[in-house]
Order: sequence, then C-alpha cells, then structure tokens
Amino acid sequence: MSSLSTGREIDLKGVNEGEGAGDGGIPHGDRLLAFTDAVMRGSDADIDRERAALRAVVSDAEYIDAVATIGAFNVVDRIADSTGIPLDETLEAVSQGVRDELGLARFGSSANTPGARG
Amino acid sequence: MLVDASIVSALRYEQAGVSVREELQRSHALILEHIASPGTWWTGAERVALVLESRNSLTCALCRDRKDALSPNAVSGEHDSLGSVAQNVVDVVHRIRTDPGRLSKDWFDSALAGGLTEEQYVELVGVVTITAGIDYFAKALGVPPAEVPAPRPGEPTRHRPAGAKLAGAWVRTVAAEDAVGPEEGLYGGQNLVPNIMKALSLVPDQVRALIGSSNAHYLEMDTMMDPQAKRDLDRMGVELVASRVSALNECFY
Repeated sequence: MSSLSTGREIDLKGVNEGEGAGDGGIPHGDRLLAFTDAVMRGSDADIDRERAALRAVVSDAEYIDAVATIGAFNVVDRIADSTGIPLDETLEAVSQGVRDELGLARFGSSANTPGARG
Repeated sequence: MLVDASIVSALRYEQAGVSVREELQRSHALILEHIASPGTWWTGAERVALVLESRNSLTCALCRDRKDALSPNAVSGEHDSLGSVAQNVVDVVHRIRTDPGRLSKDWFDSALAGGLTEEQYVELVGVVTITAGIDYFAKALGVPPAEVPAPRPGEPTRHRPAGAKLAGAWVRTVAAEDAVGPEEGLYGGQNLVPNIMKALSLVPDQVRALIGSSNAHYLEMDTMMDPQAKRDLDRMGVELVASRVSALNECFY
C-alpha cells in the first residue's frame, strides 16, 4: 500500500533494510521491523528479546495483529511463488513507483509478471 | 465445519501469556481439521504426511546448503526425509517451505514431469503454505507448533472445476466469470478477484481455506483494497510488517 492511498508520507527504506532503518514514519515501525526480522531470521533468543521490546510499546491486540500478519504473508508469498501468478494489472499500475523504489524486480519471481524486469 | 474443542486446546496459545482473539483460534482449528480431512486429490493421511514433511524441511541439511548457495541448482544431494512421501514430492514440499523465492517455471515443470499431477501440486501448495502460516504464527507468539490431528478417514473427492484455464500463472485457475455451478460464490460474489485468491482455484476447497485464513489473519477479502480498513494495529504498521516479510521471502508479488 503506498503513501498515496493513505495520504501519509512514509519512508520505505525499512522494507529492504529491516531493523536499524528507523520507524519510516510509522508508529513503532522500528520495533515492528525488528520483531519481524527476528521471527523470520533470528534465534529464539532474538525473538524473545524483540517480542518483549514490541510488547512494551503496543497493546496486546496490536501485537497479535503483527503476529497474524507475519503468519498471513508467509502463506501468500509461498502461494504466489509456487503457482507463478503474475501481478494483477491494477495493482501493477498503482504500485509501480513503490516497486521501483524498493527494487522488487531483482527478485526471481518477478519473471512471472511480463515486463516487470523492464 | 464444526470446530473441535480438543483441537483449540491443542493449540496451546494460553502459553503465550496474551489473549489470542477467538477468530484466530477458530481459524487455526479449522485449518488443522481441514488438513487432516480427505482433500480433493490427497487423502487425510497423505495431507498430514505433507505437513509433517514440510516441518521436517526446517532441519534438512540439503535445504540449508541450497538456501546458502548462490543458486539452489548448484547443490545436489538427497533431502532428509521422514520417508512418508515419495522423494519427488519431498523436494517439492521442502522447496516451497524453505526457499520459495527461487522457484521457477522450469522447476515447476520438472515437478510435474516427476509424476505429480497439476491438481495434486496445487493441493500440495495449499496444504504446505497454510501450514507455514500457522507455524510462523506460533513461532512469533512463542509457543510450539500446533499439533496436527490424526488423519480423518475417507477418499478424496477428485472434483475438478470445469472452468479452470491457463491464464498467465503456471497452473490453471478459475476466473471470476467461470466460477459457476459448484464454484458459485467461490470468491464471495466479487468480480475483481486478485490473482492470489485465484492461484489455488484448480482445487476450490483450498481457495475456501485460504480466504477463511486470510480473513482472520489480515483483512476481510472485500476490504483489502480499502486503505482505511484496519484492525487494532495501525494499517501502515500492518503493511510494513507484510512488506518486510515479503522482502525476506524475496517475493515480487
């Protein structure tokens, strides 16, 4: 989702760089990135530490939303990459700027969307 | 489908020391029941075996070495397998679970050449990916992976949607306008259906499972494109987490 659609200015650097890239203008963005990185790539100790840090600044319900989002996108990413679906035309049109900024065409699965690699 | 209370208690979410909303617990119980039940092309026992093999991939030495290699094709060998599914199926399950961002059309074609039918492949993708979702949920929550129930008896339905066609993806899918007959209402009556929701439609029950899961974990399907739609966490926070997960999974979609 781009900042265009919400009217808010955000910094996308954290999507590629993860922890240490700042909060990107999103409330507790730095803690959300650190927790996500720990779950995806870290040790149990990393996850425990970042979970505690995140829970110190968000409500229980917000924390569960973050946990659920991590679960949800580990499903849809795998489905997309396992079935070779192309990006939807409407989504491709509105997200081109964000995709260019993030350099998403470098991912192998961009081959599934004609023209995505320029 | 009724939710078995014993499955909910087996989730062990009370160990997390935080209240997990009932909608999520119900969704996970339904997913586990769905996995253990006879599917469309695999039996309940075969589906449970796929789940256990997908979890086994996390400690597979070949998968670890391939993940570290510049190209997965640069490393050969045999997977560490539980021995419950055929070797050609083991490779498919392990690759989808451990290295999804580097799957290719050539790899998919070789999977089918190895003996899997397209329909079996799509159902396998559905089972393995939805398991990854509940396993990552448990990992993030700090509890053990949910126990998979004993397989339910029965035969696969072998239902193949008549409207499935090749339409840009590697696998056949059902377009919204072709969702008729048994597939009526598959996409909730929506005409503009994102490709991700159509991806598994060669096996419609996997679409139903995915939509149920997505509604509980993320947003209701009909509100996803509404930037104002949200749960408790700020919507941009949700999208930040989602985008970071996708970047780490090297997913373009």
